[in-house]
Amino acid sequence: MAIAAAPHGGGIADHIHPEPQSFVRRYVFSIDHKIIGIQYIITGFVFFVLAGLLAETIRIQLMHANGGFVSPQTYNEVYSIHGSTMVWLVVIPLLTGGFGNLVFPLQIGARDVAFPWLNMLSYWIFPIAGLMLFSSFLMGAPTAGWTEYPPISLEGQAGTSMWAAAIFLVGVSSTLTGINFVVTIMKMRAPGMTFTRMPLFCWGQFATAPLLMIATTALAAALAALFMERQFGVPFFDPTKGGSPVLWQHMFWFYSHPAVYIMILPAFGIVSEVLPTFSRKPIFGYKLIAFSSMAIALAGFMVWAHHMFTSGLAPYLQLPFMVITFVIAVPTGIKIFSWTATLWGGKIHYTTAMLFAMGFLVLFTLGGITGIFLAAIPFDLHLHGTYFVVAHFHYVLVGGSLMGIFSGMYYWFPKMSGRLLSEKLGKWHFWLFFIGFNGTFLPMHWLGLEGMPRWVSTYDPQFQFWNQFASISSFVMTAGILLFFANILYSIRFGKVAGANPWGARTLEWQIPSPPHYYNFKHIPTVYGLPYDFSQPLPYRGLEDELNDTPPPVAAGAH
Amino acid sequence: MVEKNAPAVRLGRGFWIVTAVLAILAIASIVFWYVAPIYRWMHLPVAIATAKQVDQLSRFMLATGSALYIFVVGYIVYFAIAFRVRKSDPPDAIGIQIHDNHKLEFWWTVIPAAFVVLLSVLSIKIWYEITLAPSNGLVVEAIGHKWYYTFRYPQVNGEITNAMHLPIGVPVTLNLTSADVIHSFWVPAMRLKNDMVPGLVTQIHFTPTRIGTYQIICTQFCGIDHSLMHQQRFVIDSQANYQKWYHAWQVKNAKVSNALPSTSGASVNLAAGDVAAGKALFAQKCTACHAMAPFTTVKYGPGLLDVLHDPTHPNLVNGQPANPADAAAILEKGYTGTMGSMPNAVTNGLSSQDIANLVAYLNSMK
Repeated sequence: MAIAAAPHGGGIADHIHPEPQSFVRRYVFSIDHKIIGIQYIITGFVFFVLAGLLAETIRIQLMHANGGFVSPQTYNEVYSIHGSTMVWLVVIPLLTGGFGNLVFPLQIGARDVAFPWLNMLSYWIFPIAGLMLFSSFLMGAPTAGWTEYPPISLEGQAGTSMWAAAIFLVGVSSTLTGINFVVTIMKMRAPGMTFTRMPLFCWGQFATAPLLMIATTALAAALAALFMERQFGVPFFDPTKGGSPVLWQHMFWFYSHPAVYIMILPAFGIVSEVLPTFSRKPIFGYKLIAFSSMAIALAGFMVWAHHMFTSGLAPYLQLPFMVITFVIAVPTGIKIFSWTATLWGGKIHYTTAMLFAMGFLVLFTLGGITGIFLAAIPFDLHLHGTYFVVAHFHYVLVGGSLMGIFSGMYYWFPKMSGRLLSEKLGKWHFWLFFIGFNGTFLPMHWLGLEGMPRWVSTYDPQFQFWNQFASISSFVMTAGILLFFANILYSIRFGKVAGANPWGARTLEWQIPSPPHYYNFKHIPTVYGLPYDFSQPLPYRGLEDELNDTPPPVAAGAH
Repeated sequence: MVEKNAPAVRLGRGFWIVTAVLAILAIASIVFWYVAPIYRWMHLPVAIATAKQVDQLSRFMLATGSALYIFVVGYIVYFAIAFRVRKSDPPDAIGIQIHDNHKLEFWWTVIPAAFVVLLSVLSIKIWYEITLAPSNGLVVEAIGHKWYYTFRYPQVNGEITNAMHLPIGVPVTLNLTSADVIHSFWVPAMRLKNDMVPGLVTQIHFTPTRIGTYQIICTQFCGIDHSLMHQQRFVIDSQANYQKWYHAWQVKNAKVSNALPSTSGASVNLAAGDVAAGKALFAQKCTACHAMAPFTTVKYGPGLLDVLHDPTHPNLVNGQPANPADAAAILEKGYTGTMGSMPNAVTNGLSSQDIANLVAYLNSMK
């Protein structure tokens, strides 16, 4: 019946349930992937504000060589929770649960993810875990950084166990999301949406989801072991009782290196959508960009010990990790060159989303290059554990992932809300953020080269000038972020009405109303080609009724 | 395939001018990184032989990395300006519809791959010099504590708690270990660090080449005063000054008795073994491989709970009967054979008193 009702193709899950009417079922315990995506985004940005406050606490403390803003104990708690929050409660949930949920089911022409109830469960674990993480402040937060190496973390305050439990739960949420996304992309693409016709954002999610599924389990095992050792004295890591502290490092980085790619591959996907749309050009080298994501995801499992060159590994064991890490530079380079080539010969529209995507290219490339430096063992033996490393990973995670997130917000906010963000405020946001970011993190490269170690609440006075420079720049960055939130709060009420496709974009989500209906598509469309050929008609059929008032077909079996 | 508004694909004169400018800038940056006295600006002298090679690798990476970055960012900026949408363009203007270029993609895969091979070769060469190059010479031990370092020298009793002195020109093997949590031993002037892991002895090798006083910094978070763990110094002396310093300590600590063994070995007085000291030492240096648990609890080597009192395993790894004197002999000389291997006292940084303490502790466990 349902198949017969679809004029062109369709037939896959073309089976529409009525939209729930109660507020709670619609907006709180929703099973709609779009609402869940927005829930992830809102929750993620709430934690982003908290992590930002912690970051400014760090920068104010480091204004003076002798610190003095907070006690060393508090300072250690602050940076530990700042790092944990940014990784597990901001960047990963925003990029996978947030943009992933919101966008890719629309882009592959599905009505929802494969397991909507599981999706709801993944979301609801996340804010609970976040509250648990912040509640660790009440009982004495962890102090050993987001990596929590034992044995020092075994001596940490009671909140360290709460930290382990909270991150374990976030991990469960991530794993479930990963399973959901893999199954959705494998099984629920619209007719004709072959793998080589998928938008690159979907490829980003498709490369990320297995990492979420597989790597997170290693972290869960490590956290469970840490929790058991702290609470019940089971000696996994304490060397005096027969444990091994280096074991934790292996298990932690077996997750946390792939986690780096969990945090960047979806951002690659966002940039790969934004650049062709606003250059009015096909993405350059579609297949190589898609396959290089898979190559990076695969190789990402084989490099974890490059975080452990100083940890006392057997010398020969270090070499393969160094060389494989270098090798990852090749697919990453291919992406950067392809994005740059996409700009060539384009008709570039300077929207805020485009500015953030281009800012991503400039900053992420720098972070990538310093990543190659640090992969070289002799260089790493000098700079491991210094501010050079801090600079490197902020260029990758803030200059890369967070710029990608902002780009995605300006790009897809109209699809979420039906209204455009203010471009004027957006450009102020971009420039304040871009300049402030470089002012904050660029000096950290030479602070590290000169000998400033990480995790310090006070430091040698010779480093004070550049620390003050960084702190003042961080206020500029924060001003940019405040404008972003002001922009959202303003535009959601008063922003210009967007219409279905304000950007002239060609992927499926832009061919349906903003915000989309509960059932996404009236008829599941059929796909005939890649979305990026601006000179060709849109490669979809079955979308004729999307923008008129025709009611959606209701399958006979629906209830 | 008819493409509207799509001019032929060819690179204009502007592109080649920009390419030439970027090439000049890239070459300038390469020259800059090779000429600039960066480490003088950073007040980082070169204290050991391999530090210079690390600097050369750093210069190579900074130079090539900068050149690459100049090209990428330069092209992005140029394209951003040259291909911006203009007021005169119709609203539906589109860019040049090209999808890929196999030649270009081939080269920007192959050139970075070749660069990766080159960088690997250079890094491995320097890594070998730093990590594996054999060095016979002085064996010294540094132990991390909350929040200071102590140092032990051959034939000097007790632990030295202020600065670490070493003579210029003599190869050094520095054993690193920790008495409590993970610390790190970093001397920026050596461009070298390694973690100090409780239960594990790790080694770094180097030859001091420049007389001077340098900072030792901890780079692993180790507790509330981690920020203050950078106040001890590493002093490279002339041979004569080093001998003076060394003898002063020998005299000063003459009454304490736990000097590291000299390479010729020293006799072990088992009767002087102290169980409590042995227990602490076991945690510091043995637990990476051995658990204090029954024989069958294997970590790397077997559990040592009742090694000297186990009727089912009457012999030690070398086939000798399990008695304190033979255990002490293995700790001192090490063992390598079909049953496994055990590092000697020099590698583990054990003095004769340490060996006596460990044997007393092992003997007390049953």
